[in-house]
Amino acid sequence: MEKYILPEIPDYHTLPVYEQHGGYGALKKALTMKPEEIIDELKKSNLRGRGGACFPTGLKWSFMPKGTAIPKYLAVNGDESEPGTFKDRMIFELNPHQLIEGILIGCYAMGITAAYVYIRGEYGKWVTMLQKAVDDAYAKGYIGTGILGTEFSTHIYLHKGAGAYICGEESALMNSIEGGRGLPRIKPPFPAAFGLWGKPTTINNIETIANVPLILNKGWEWYSKIGAVKHPGPILVGISGHVTRPGVYEVPTGVLLTDLIDEYAGGMLDGKKLKALIPGGSSTMILRAEHVPGVTMDADSLKAAGSSVGTAGMIVMNEDTDLIRVITRIAKFYYHESCGQCTPCREGTGWLWKILKRFETGDASLADIDLLLDVANNIEGNTICALGDAAAWPVQSMIKRFREEFEKRVKPVQALAV
Amino acid sequence: MANVKVTINGKLIETDSTRTIIQAARENGISIPHFCWHEKLSTAGNCRICLVDVEKMPKLAIACMTNVAEGMVVNTKNERVVNAREAVMEFILINHPLDCPICDEAGECKLQDYAYKFSQGYSRFGDDKVHKNKRVEIGPRVMFDAERCISCSRCIRFCDEIAGVHQLQFVNRGDHTTIETFPGETLDNPYSMNVVDICPVGALTNKDFRFKSRVWEMSFTESICNGCARGCNIEIGVRNNGILRLTPRTNDDVNSNWMCDHGRLDTWKHVNAEDRITGPMVRKGGILVDVGWDEAMAKVAGELKLFNKNEIAFIGSAFASNEDNYVLARFAKEVLGSKHIDRMSHRIDGGDDALLIRADKTPNDTGAALVGIVPGEGGRDIEGIVQGIRDGHIKALYAIDDDIAQHPELEKVITKLEFFAVHASNANKSTRIADVVLASSTYAERSGTITNFQKRVQRLRPAVVTLERERALDGLTMSRLDKFAAPNDSWGKGPRRDSRASWRIVAAIGNIMGGKFKYMTAEDVFTDITHTVDAFKGLTYLKIGSKGALLQ
Ligand SMILES: Cc1cc2nc3c(=O)[nH]c(=O)nc-3n(C[C@H](O)[C@H](O)[C@H](O)COP(=O)(O)O)c2cc1C
Ligand code: SF4
Ligand code: SF4
Repeated sequence: MEKYILPEIPDYHTLPVYEQHGGYGALKKALTMKPEEIIDELKKSNLRGRGGACFPTGLKWSFMPKGTAIPKYLAVNGDESEPGTFKDRMIFELNPHQLIEGILIGCYAMGITAAYVYIRGEYGKWVTMLQKAVDDAYAKGYIGTGILGTEFSTHIYLHKGAGAYICGEESALMNSIEGGRGLPRIKPPFPAAFGLWGKPTTINNIETIANVPLILNKGWEWYSKIGAVKHPGPILVGISGHVTRPGVYEVPTGVLLTDLIDEYAGGMLDGKKLKALIPGGSSTMILRAEHVPGVTMDADSLKAAGSSVGTAGMIVMNEDTDLIRVITRIAKFYYHESCGQCTPCREGTGWLWKILKRFETGDASLADIDLLLDVANNIEGNTICALGDAAAWPVQSMIKRFREEFEKRVKPVQALAV
Repeated sequence: MANVKVTINGKLIETDSTRTIIQAARENGISIPHFCWHEKLSTAGNCRICLVDVEKMPKLAIACMTNVAEGMVVNTKNERVVNAREAVMEFILINHPLDCPICDEAGECKLQDYAYKFSQGYSRFGDDKVHKNKRVEIGPRVMFDAERCISCSRCIRFCDEIAGVHQLQFVNRGDHTTIETFPGETLDNPYSMNVVDICPVGALTNKDFRFKSRVWEMSFTESICNGCARGCNIEIGVRNNGILRLTPRTNDDVNSNWMCDHGRLDTWKHVNAEDRITGPMVRKGGILVDVGWDEAMAKVAGELKLFNKNEIAFIGSAFASNEDNYVLARFAKEVLGSKHIDRMSHRIDGGDDALLIRADKTPNDTGAALVGIVPGEGGRDIEGIVQGIRDGHIKALYAIDDDIAQHPELEKVITKLEFFAVHASNANKSTRIADVVLASSTYAERSGTITNFQKRVQRLRPAVVTLERERALDGLTMSRLDKFAAPNDSWGKGPRRDSRASWRIVAAIGNIMGGKFKYMTAEDVFTDITHTVDAFKGLTYLKIGSKGALLQ
């Protein structure tokens, strides 16, 4: 299949090569359209966000207030810190201009004059790459005042994070851009009403935005026919774990998970058997090997299977994997990354990890399995942001689907001497 | 703002759409537990104890941030809510040190109260708790115990939003979150100690009060801070007849929920101090000697009789009550016929701030003037009195409740007086010179009223007893220990000073000199004021109540 997000064209990341292949054509086209027409095009394309929640992008853009003089902002989320997720950096590296073009189209469609790209702190190298592309685009008049001779002006600023996963949560991201502590805000008010500096703001994932020029170039009909009907388009799947060729693969949505392992990632490493699979980054629910066949990489299929697409960061685990170690490590991550603002997450994530540690060392009891579930349930749904849920789901699903792994690890009850 | 009807726990409530569930509930007598929410601060929504069930909402909603809407149906106590609340309590307590037995907050701690009301009563937490620093000098007047902190952010919001200085912030993440001052900063704003009051737990404590008393051993009496002309509403906390702390009392017309650190710390130490004047004294052979009240008052009356009315001057006091000043003014003008009466000013120019602090460092300048502490027709003001003493026209001086010898000009001439009587609660420059020292009660030992800069009359109530006024009289509240301690217990003990309210002393001397003062209580004096001073017309102690009343 042809690649649209990561085309296999040498030096595509440079402006001249990008232009040779029609780059910034979508922007030129967009500038001849009415903003509503662009949003409509997006709605009809069925593009859904690639940041984790699969939220329809056209709908999100339509929430922005129209016909107002107050400043509005676009924040593009490249914090990419969910374990198992490493796809957006491929866009920074291999196709930055398509991202920039998408940002510009978004700004035009929503009447925005400043966009911020928030990039994970550890991605220093990729910040430099994207900055180079932004500078080149400025030099050619794609970004700045009076873009391509029109009335439309907008600016793009890169903002480097400081190493906190929570800053990928959209409202924490905004606080971070504003120079504050990366604490999620309570919603409502939603960003489209009260975002950056209290002004209407749209937040989209890097990959989501990189899809936008495609839709303008080739039309919504073309786009909506790629992959799964209700969740169409090309999607970047990051495959890690016990496969022969881990990496980022661009596929149409709706590809079988088994094909992703076997066709794209070269099969299981050393011919071992699949034991478990986390389909979309560490917060998505784990699947048992026997439930994987037939499941495809799209929102509906994964939902039916009891998980979700998340960031399409697929973690593949073979028969030798110690799942208790896996879940303990995942729990430690969310514990470490909880911003500490709200009670259930602040206290609960640490508690989960402490109990899981005891399973790891064989010091847990059977009752601890239920305690774990209870703690996870008490976090879920009761927090300010979805990090609480993200910490609860892996634990809940691991117990639900691999309870025997926990039972095997409890401390044997000593018989009492009589 | 639109009127809406909502149902909370089956009760139909009419409110307006600007209200959140927690506000609408509270205004209608339904309390929803909360740690981080505070009526005077922005909403943080972080503690999650106020989760309630709102029909048609998939998740529980936080009552502090969810606005009411027409037809909304809220349940604050069904099983889902109770379970969520128990969960939040359990979470808060897992890393809490549970050191109530040594915690100052015990007895007035939201966490303790809610633990009784809303938690399961046992813990399922068997792992190691997170340990944090238990003694952080977060500011010169406030100590911080990081283990007790529940990260509600009230203290941070107070500094940002009320004190107007960014001094506190969260640092670290997850259950390692704690509060710190910004680098190079310390929690030293003039209102810093309010964070102690609003901290829902014992994380922030008052350095001055730390470890002095269990709160249930204290009695709390409503009063007014005497630190400046604002007159912040306060509660005086007393044990063993000694004041241990002041805390602000909410009055939106005066001080909201706050008071300044100066008022909290510096306005009452004299009540307990070693240098108290513990009874009346007369100077004999150059030395002040303890005498009985009868002898002291007879001495004053006898001396004053020796001068003609133009030779006697009076200095009232903006530290004394309306009642004290009124009786003094009547005594001066009606009994002795003197027109020379005035009061000292204690104003620090430029001393007003944007929140509470007033440049006038006295609590009752407005009231003193209104009840007659102003020179009569052709009478001398302070400067005139000083001049009169200097040139020998003023020979006798009667002053109440102000260390007048601090006045630099007066100090130079004061020894020229032939007779000088002063009311004082503590030894000071004036008592060292005076011929008669009459032991007057402090603001915390008597009933009375004072008038703040807004012309609001507010009530002082006795919090500490004197020989004259034993417990249970006239608005004195009693602690559990006051009520139930046996006489052989030490709790109810503490010094009883032989001091009296200034109005009572003046009235008694006045009566010796032919006056007809028939007051039994401060309230009698006040009633008289309302009959003779227009601004006070129609007022009663009852009308003043605990929130004060504006003068006309
Ligand atoms: C704890 C947490 C971390 C997140 N991290 C990221 C991230 O790194 N990148 C991202 O695009 N979205 C992240 N999200 C999701 C964003 O909040 C937001 O939904 C997303 O950026 C919206 O983009 P989309 O509509 O284009 O998918 C995170 C959410 C949570 C709760
Ligand atoms: S859920 Fe966790 S990360 Fe999100 S706001 Fe609450 S404490 Fe912070
Ligand atoms: S110190 Fe007290 S007021 Fe401040 S965050 Fe902690 S618990 Fe809240």
